[in-house]
Amino acid sequence: MDEQIALLNIKDILVVIVPSDPHDETITMLQEDVLEALQKNASNGVILDISTVEIMDSFFARTLMETSMMIKLMGGVTVIAGMQPSVAITTIELGLNFGDIVTVLDVDSSLEYLKDLL
Amino acid sequence: MNSELLEMMPIKSDGDIVRIRRRTRDLSKAQGFKLADVTRVVTAASELARNIYHYAQEGTVHCYALTEGRRKGIKLVFEDKGPGIEDIELVMEEGYSTGNSMGLGLPGAKRLVDKITIESEMGNGTKVEIIKWM
Repeated sequence: MDEQIALLNIKDILVVIVPSDPHDETITMLQEDVLEALQKNASNGVILDISTVEIMDSFFARTLMETSMMIKLMGGVTVIAGMQPSVAITTIELGLNFGDIVTVLDVDSSLEYLKDLL
Repeated sequence: MNSELLEMMPIKSDGDIVRIRRRTRDLSKAQGFKLADVTRVVTAASELARNIYHYAQEGTVHCYALTEGRRKGIKLVFEDKGPGIEDIELVMEEGYSTGNSMGLGLPGAKRLVDKITIESEMGNGTKVEIIKWM
């Protein structure tokens, strides 16, 4: 259950439910699955829902950041939604920098954000 | 300082990193750590377990419950017989990496815990000990 990657298409937006405690292999697979789905569905926006993620180490964070850069290269916009407070604390303490990636409180807000943008 | 061994876990696969995260979460919760500190301990454990898996292929982690007077804590000791670290000061610098990473593993883990001790000998392996107090 923890390893399930769910991809949902809502109009031209791809919603990705990121698994809560994934293997490294699952994280790598997630990146490929998202990029393929983006192309296949011709989505304009991608929401990475990380609301169930309790631990994000540097490998996990780096893969998400890279994925968002790859989405940008393909012409899409990424929003990261629902980071838990304890994950936000450790992310900053670890020294991770999410740069100019858009983050929002939850999936609802990301749909609002993308609706205005796209 | 009193230290009691709670558990020893091997690190030799991708799946072991996940298992170590789950067990260190359970153990630090059982010790009474609050969520933010549980997250710090587990994140540090994940970084160090992955370091072993990537650089030494295999190793072990020993988890200890610590008590010192009324103070409680947790200690995790990561050991491997891998290539060793040539210059510990250098790897503790942010952004230094010999692998394909951001080089946040050791310096990142250091910021998440109260104490980190690294011993390493070229060709003989590495031992990293972290302590988090409540």
